[in-house]
Amino acid sequence: MSDTLDHTRRNFLYVAAGGMGAVAAGATIVPFIGSMLPAADTLAASKTEFDVSTVTAGQLVVIQWQGKPVFVVNRTAELLKQVDGHDEVLKDANSEAIEEVSAAWITPENRKYRAIKPEYLIMVASCTHLGCIPLFKPSPGRKEWGDSVPEDWPGGWHCPCHGSLYDVSGRVMNGSPAPHNLHLMPYEYTSDTQVVIG
Amino acid sequence: MKLKQLLTVACLSLAVAFPMAAQASGGGVALKHAEVDVTSQEQIRRGLTVFVDVCMGCHSAKYVTYKGLIDYPEIGLSREAVDELRGDSPLTSGMITDLSPEDAAVSYGKVPPDLSLIVNARRGGADYIYSLLTGFESDPAGEVPDGNYNEYFPGHRIAMPDPLGWLDHDEADTAELEAQANDVSAFLTFIGDPHQNERHAIGKYVMIFLILLTIVLYLLKKEVWKDVKH
Amino acid sequence: MLDKIMKSKLFGWVDERTGAEAIIKSQLTEYEVPKNLNYMWNFGSLALLVLVLQILTGIFLAMYYKPSAALTMGGYTVAFDSVERIMRDVNFGWLIRYMHAVGASAFFVVVYMHIGRGLYYGSYKGPRELLWIIGVVILLIMQGAAFFGYLLPWGQMSFWGATVITNLFGALPVIGGFLQEVLRGGFAVGDPTLNRFFSLHYLFPLLLVAIVGGHVHALHVVHSNNPTGLDVHEGKSTIPFHPYYTIKDAFGVGVFLTFYCYVVFFNPQMGGYFIEVDNYVPANNLQTPPHIAPVWYLTPWYTILRSFESKLLGVVAMGASLAILFVLPFLDRSKVRSARYRPVYRQMVYLFFVTVIILGYCGHSAPTPTLKLVGQITTAYYFAFFLLLPFVHKFEKTKPLPEEI
Repeated sequence: MSDTLDHTRRNFLYVAAGGMGAVAAGATIVPFIGSMLPAADTLAASKTEFDVSTVTAGQLVVIQWQGKPVFVVNRTAELLKQVDGHDEVLKDANSEAIEEVSAAWITPENRKYRAIKPEYLIMVASCTHLGCIPLFKPSPGRKEWGDSVPEDWPGGWHCPCHGSLYDVSGRVMNGSPAPHNLHLMPYEYTSDTQVVIG
Repeated sequence: MKLKQLLTVACLSLAVAFPMAAQASGGGVALKHAEVDVTSQEQIRRGLTVFVDVCMGCHSAKYVTYKGLIDYPEIGLSREAVDELRGDSPLTSGMITDLSPEDAAVSYGKVPPDLSLIVNARRGGADYIYSLLTGFESDPAGEVPDGNYNEYFPGHRIAMPDPLGWLDHDEADTAELEAQANDVSAFLTFIGDPHQNERHAIGKYVMIFLILLTIVLYLLKKEVWKDVKH
Repeated sequence: MLDKIMKSKLFGWVDERTGAEAIIKSQLTEYEVPKNLNYMWNFGSLALLVLVLQILTGIFLAMYYKPSAALTMGGYTVAFDSVERIMRDVNFGWLIRYMHAVGASAFFVVVYMHIGRGLYYGSYKGPRELLWIIGVVILLIMQGAAFFGYLLPWGQMSFWGATVITNLFGALPVIGGFLQEVLRGGFAVGDPTLNRFFSLHYLFPLLLVAIVGGHVHALHVVHSNNPTGLDVHEGKSTIPFHPYYTIKDAFGVGVFLTFYCYVVFFNPQMGGYFIEVDNYVPANNLQTPPHIAPVWYLTPWYTILRSFESKLLGVVAMGASLAILFVLPFLDRSKVRSARYRPVYRQMVYLFFVTVIILGYCGHSAPTPTLKLVGQITTAYYFAFFLLLPFVHKFEKTKPLPEEI
């Protein structure tokens, strides 16, 4: 009956309705998925304050930042010496892979220390392979650590999950499944001993 | 059939118009009208000042965080201004009064309610709050002491003593006191539903879109039904 | 466009494994519907839309809502705080909450219109008795879901409404005490009540999805009624559901969404009818608000309850007013379906609609002696409407029915 009559109007209306309907459906999804993004109060809890003077010489503490574990190490002069002499076993000795976070304060001199104040190393305690918390094994060699570390162990961290190794600045060593150095996060000193992370 | 449709439309229109009529009176006495503009940053900021200087002596607003005072564009205070207001309280904490509930119960006989939602929690909303603040009078029957007799409070006997000093105020001060009452009502209306302006703004576009879509669907219906003898 | 999809290879693959083509044909493109349906027939599809909306918004609210009556500062609770967190901190939380609160009322508006259509046009009469009965089951589950949901914000009205209704169950003889304790989980409405009501509130709408499926299936077996009430024969006076009624329903959805979004964006509290003023006050088990009333969609039954001096009689009457709906198809003996051609029944039905509205008004207002009397009279008519039905057909002179629609 109306096979050829005025189907242009009909088709136009179908397309218009369908198009607007799709827009409406898309617009409706936005608030629902949006509601699943972190809420305002969750985002507000994005900074952690810490007093580094509470960490004794040679001690490692683990604190929380944004629900993640963070290492704070008070590196003695001994430990600081251990950052040298093994650049050839490091995958990323100059921490070039992820620059932005430390860009504000990194210099050619402090690159190997990976900290604003070399004596306090602050980094995310999550192995960059699959996220386990690595074990602190600061003394060089196998005396304390046995076979879990290689013979020429310079001191650092060893991840028990899949065997990744990091030096005392958290730089990942060759042969580790982990791709990157232990991550740094944005932080600043608001006083000699007060740090604000995040 | 047309009667049914008429009835349906009439009921729906009534449903939309009814709530506006329902708001007019507050427990018998007709409420005064509050001059409130929740889109005015100036008024809301003035209201915040009244709230901090006067109300926070006894009342909290726990759902309003100091961070919110920075983040809400309708208030938009600077970090420094908020640091001054919050003192030792963390940035993410709500605005809590120093008056403990125990002390309040001793001094006033009642714990002052939190004000975060007060405008939504009272019939008459902002008009009620404004009327209440400017409604302290002397009890004509002489039974309720001055400062506790309020024209608009149900039962007339209110535990809250005249916060703005309305009772027996100088004629010259009337305008200023009324402004304070209006401003704090605006602040309280805003914090009762902080996304209302955003909601209205989005709503405008939603309504335009839906009306257009409905028209298109109506035309499509008419067009397709041409095939049917009805 | 649908036929293009159905001719595609992918569709063929799916059809071989599901029988999709046969389903689409039997339920949409070859499902015959009377061609004279008016817009009162749109409310069924609208009810389905609102059910989906409520489930969708409910699921996302449940990502942040916490069903705990543990006290927090200022006399509030973890539950109340979580709702305010949704309103203030969650991205678009205010929108999802308002959609859900307005949607609850919208659901009842739509369903009451749908039931009204059924009453007026005799859609409950044979062979659609079971369809009607399933519908009454849906109504009861909706009321249950709404009642459970209303407790969740833990405001004054939430708490005291739940207290009153659970006390109601206590009035039943023999099983009352047991029922009350099972509902409350304690000596009074409290944290155990809140937690189980949250669980049940999540469950009931999902039950509804299944029962609505049964409702639509029952409909598709007997096919739709129409404004004349005449039996229609396929072919001459029927048209396929798709595209005619899919498009007409789409238009109805457009109209509905326009009203719904206007309320959500510009007046979600609806002057205290959709979100009650007293529910912005945190629940206080030591102080009853001056004026307890259930949400508007439950008020007619509240009036029936309050019309009797005896607590037990009130509860029984309230139950009876719902139970009697089940037997309506068997009470009405008239051979004519539609009120269009039944002058006596038509007056009775209009009066019934007015009665329910008045019952609702009484239930919402403070119980003055006048309103109590009005409530009792309208309660009497509510029951009289049903109890008179078996006799109406004996003396009603129906108008002559048309030959065809």
